[in-house]
Amino acid sequence: MRYYARKTGYFLLTLWAAVTLNFLIPRLQPGDPAEVMVRQLTGRDGEIDPTQIEAVRAMLGYADENVFVAYWKYLQQLAQGDLGVSFTYYPFTVGEVIGQALPWTLGLIGVTQILAFLLGTFLGTYAAWRRNSRFDSFISVGSTFLGNLQSFWIGMIILFVLAYELGWFPAVGGYGYTTPGWNWLFVADVLSHAFLPALTLMVTAPIGFILGMRNTMVQELGGDYIRLAQAAGLPDRKVALGYAARNALLPTVTSFALSLGVLMSGSILVEQLFDYPGMGRLMGEATSNRDFPLMQAILLTTITIVLTASFVVDLLYGVIDPRARKSR
Amino acid sequence: MTENETSAPAGPPPAQLAPVGTAAEADATNAPPGGAGSGQRPPAEDRWSRATKHVEGAPEVHVHVPRPPRWYAVLWSSKKARIGIVMLAFFVFIAIFAPMLTPHDPNDSSFVPVQDPSGEHWLGTNTLGFDIYTQLLFGTRLSLAIGVLGGLGVTLIALLIGMVSGYAEGTWLDDGLSFLTNLALVVPVLPLMMVIVAYSETRGLGLLVFVVAITGWAGHARTKRAQIITLRSREFVTAARFGGDGMLRIVFREIMPNMTSLVVSGFIAASTAAIAAEAGLSFMGFGDPNTVSWGQMLFQANANGALVQGLWVWLLVPGVFLALITTSLSFVNFGVDLLSNAQLREEEN
Amino acid sequence: MANERTTPVLRVEDLSVRYEPRLGTAVDAVKHASLTVSEGEFVGLVGESGSGKTTLAQAVLRLLRKPGRVANGRIWWGEDDVTDATENELRPKRWRDVATVFQSSMNSLNPVVRIEKVFTDVITAHSDSDADAAHERACELMDMVRIERSFLRMYPHELSGGMRQRVNLALALALQPKLVLFDEPTTGLDVVVQKQILDEIRRLQAELRFGAILISHDMGTILDFSDRVAIMLDGEIVEDVATDTLLTGGPQHPYSVHLLGSYGELLGEDVEGYDAAGLKAVEEREEQVAQIQEAVEVPTIVEITNLVKRFERRRGFRVEHVDAVTDVSLTLRKGEVTALVGQSGSGKSTIARIITTIESPTSGQVRYHPEGGGEPWDITRLNRKQRRVYGNAVQYVFQDPYAALNPALTVAYQLSRPLQNYRGMTKQQALDAAAELLEQVGLTPAAAYLARLPHELSGGQRQRVVIARALAPDPTLLIADEPIASLDVSIRAEILELLQSLVLRRGVGMLYITHDLLSAQMLADHAIVLQNGQVQEQGPAKEVIENPQAGYTRELLDAIPNPFQDRSVA
Repeated sequence: MRYYARKTGYFLLTLWAAVTLNFLIPRLQPGDPAEVMVRQLTGRDGEIDPTQIEAVRAMLGYADENVFVAYWKYLQQLAQGDLGVSFTYYPFTVGEVIGQALPWTLGLIGVTQILAFLLGTFLGTYAAWRRNSRFDSFISVGSTFLGNLQSFWIGMIILFVLAYELGWFPAVGGYGYTTPGWNWLFVADVLSHAFLPALTLMVTAPIGFILGMRNTMVQELGGDYIRLAQAAGLPDRKVALGYAARNALLPTVTSFALSLGVLMSGSILVEQLFDYPGMGRLMGEATSNRDFPLMQAILLTTITIVLTASFVVDLLYGVIDPRARKSR
Repeated sequence: MTENETSAPAGPPPAQLAPVGTAAEADATNAPPGGAGSGQRPPAEDRWSRATKHVEGAPEVHVHVPRPPRWYAVLWSSKKARIGIVMLAFFVFIAIFAPMLTPHDPNDSSFVPVQDPSGEHWLGTNTLGFDIYTQLLFGTRLSLAIGVLGGLGVTLIALLIGMVSGYAEGTWLDDGLSFLTNLALVVPVLPLMMVIVAYSETRGLGLLVFVVAITGWAGHARTKRAQIITLRSREFVTAARFGGDGMLRIVFREIMPNMTSLVVSGFIAASTAAIAAEAGLSFMGFGDPNTVSWGQMLFQANANGALVQGLWVWLLVPGVFLALITTSLSFVNFGVDLLSNAQLREEEN
Repeated sequence: MANERTTPVLRVEDLSVRYEPRLGTAVDAVKHASLTVSEGEFVGLVGESGSGKTTLAQAVLRLLRKPGRVANGRIWWGEDDVTDATENELRPKRWRDVATVFQSSMNSLNPVVRIEKVFTDVITAHSDSDADAAHERACELMDMVRIERSFLRMYPHELSGGMRQRVNLALALALQPKLVLFDEPTTGLDVVVQKQILDEIRRLQAELRFGAILISHDMGTILDFSDRVAIMLDGEIVEDVATDTLLTGGPQHPYSVHLLGSYGELLGEDVEGYDAAGLKAVEEREEQVAQIQEAVEVPTIVEITNLVKRFERRRGFRVEHVDAVTDVSLTLRKGEVTALVGQSGSGKSTIARIITTIESPTSGQVRYHPEGGGEPWDITRLNRKQRRVYGNAVQYVFQDPYAALNPALTVAYQLSRPLQNYRGMTKQQALDAAAELLEQVGLTPAAAYLARLPHELSGGQRQRVVIARALAPDPTLLIADEPIASLDVSIRAEILELLQSLVLRRGVGMLYITHDLLSAQMLADHAIVLQNGQVQEQGPAKEVIENPQAGYTRELLDAIPNPFQDRSVA
């Protein structure tokens, strides 16, 4: 059980570091952040009313000169779930605003990530097993090319063709004229709105898994235990799936959490494009409106999501790889 | 470890019969047989290989040690890398000669808006009155610049952190740096970039390079650390230490030459990511509005409703160019990977 | 021994295997090799690294991978020509006709499943047995190789190297194969464990009478085990004779003569026609050593007293202690070779690391007597200048010449660095001196080697360069850490001879670290036998080996076969 204790400890430590980083980012900027903020909010270059600066300071919790006191307060507030008040959505708190947006993003990202993982590992496994075949080179060249397309650009093309030209799907938003609630009409409406953003993400999301799985599996296929299995005359399928793929899956699973971070970045652009009411659009709004509390809270939330996913994956990894539980 | 004949042929084949060139061969033949105790005897391989290889009276057979293929030959041997290099050369050409390839100025918005492609405006003009073709050409410059500078920035940070961390493996310094690396690895890149850019008061190339470097180094630092650790524990490093060389010389003269291809492939990958990051940030409206870039073009196209108005050229072309330039870099990297992994050379078709 | 009337279990005729890499030149790794194994026959296949023996094995197993392919010749498993058989045709025959235990079979068990699963996979793939029957068979096999049945429930990483190899042996016998191919089955294992595994193989082979091919570069084992020996050189089988003929009648091919001779020389046996490397026995060099020591005031170089090294390992909140070295004392003098003999984990490398100041001792003293007299220095308390002098005086000869030379740098660079660093030479001077060093280690003409990269040298040449580099700073003490263990048998004797002649000619001292008592006997004046960090026996090398007192020393000696004597007795 030491493995799990260590992983938990590591998770908490990283979480603390992320929280601290979030505290430090504005303070590491050159100049007085409050002044910068007021300047940017008012758009003025010259003299600024010092009371304005004081007001912003107080609001941000910078009133205390002592950094450690401020840090302590910040941690206390965070522990109570208090992330401050949003500039843009005043008087709503940042927590409330994020609470509204989070389910949309989690749904969108969660579904695409899982589909991408399944599709990616499947295609990667098959390409590795039939390596140097037509299918393999098609997959590897195709992945390289698709992987180099920008997600927002793909989104624009999809939007242009499927929404504007063909009109098969609604172009923007999270839902249309239905009333939110647990009824089929609304669910169908949400799904049809989510389809295009999800499709856009799905063009690139599986690629990391495809290439990762293919490459590790090719490597595993060169392993001694594969050679032995072949020498022993085990059936091809068994060697491919039971032996090589089973082992190649391990590093792919490890990459699950990190690729979630990549997908998050992608979803910011895509949500922006489709005006999808999730965290990504919120992030876009927050940054262009210089809603600093909201912006930082979103950053912290995304980091926490990725960290948690990575923690869960670590725990899972202990189950699927007997070596991890024991060593170190 | 000593015997791995099955994988050997991909690397330089074992030099068993490795006589030394004609001069050496001749000398070995003349050496007095069995000058015991002198330490001057020709090595055994020479002695018995002479016996097997050189039948008396027959012309001297010169057994040649196969050299490993040169790096450029390896690079060029890959079809993908060849395509990548040609494509990249094309973009460099455009970037250098952009002013000669178009009669217009990329910042000139005095044209009649929304023209269809014509002899005067090869790709037409956009709603703001810019010439799309000209902007496309000049946008190459920014993408290449951000690619080179951002790639350099990432590589430098990654090298510094990865090398120090790897060389100090097992110490507190390494623990600290590794922790930092792992933390930086889980932070989603784009939101962090956006936060940094939002706090910044200036916009422009410098900021973009900074943001790309500060957000993109972690993965590369981790691979470099791993590489250093394997190289560092190799005996030749200890040998260099016994030979009186200092740490800096060891790192740069002994270790670095053995990881060149890794550094290069890291640089290219970082460049690719930098170009993509610039495009993404510009698309979100965080680019420098005074420069011409493909991301900026897409941002304007989106903001000015190119989609709704069906101005597909405006939309399509910058995206295609972005994809092509990053694809060319990825293709070049296929070739670079072959340098460090001889096994891969047999894979590709 | 071999039954001539029945069909041989394996027949290879005129086989050539060619590697055709997409870049670079094609190489024929196996050239026109023919080999036959009869029922119950034990065939040894010996050759240096790169001689093609593993490639031949892969071809025999029909496991060749790109870019290798069979270019010529045929292979029969029993009566079936399998040269061009498809994988589907082969599958039912595999593991019944030919089974194998791989080299580096540390990794030949699927790491993520329990060991039993591998057994049941293999057994059920070839028969209609259900899981219970397969389990029953797996248990039988475990009994056969004398491992507890409970080990079936473990994962491969939970087993020691020797255990894993037993499991692999059991797995190879799962379907009662007609032929088992052992490809360096004990490489990487400890000497004593090696012997246990090999004995197990021999016992089972005698019991079950399967045909066997044992691939090894270890002449002793091959000669000891085999009915027949095939010797490979550069892809060709240059010798294929009954072992008795080889030992008594003498080998035919010049390479075989050399191989057997070099092997014999370390055992103190003469082989007819072998041009001996000329290692000097203790009696022959006594006088020279005495001369060297008389010429200087203080012959002592390094003196170790009551050395203890304790490693601490933190496991959670507990701290574990491992005593790597316990109370070792020894003195290294000019002109003398001191052998430090022990298995891996005996602490011999730790002592070397302490002398070279990579590790520091937990207690005890290591004192260096500087050139030209004066107070001895405690090497844990050297000042900057002293550290430099000491670093210059003590140089290291590495075990693996493939790892000890930087693959990216030329011989000239690697040799001239210590010359520039320690002897203050300019680049040009260093180059000249490097050439001279190369000549001294027998690489002539030096000019032909200076500009080379390590991969352009053979293993023996590389080791000569490693030795030259250790000599470059003009040291007074050489630490030679298993300098011949990674080398091919045919050149071991002469590398030892080179070291010996250098010690005598230059009047330096040497600490010779080895697991091999016999080479210690040939080379060393003094021998110290270490086990688990403790000295088991210490004294003049000749006495220690000819008249061992400690049980452990005898055990080590027993692990070394001497086929020359076994045969003459039999």
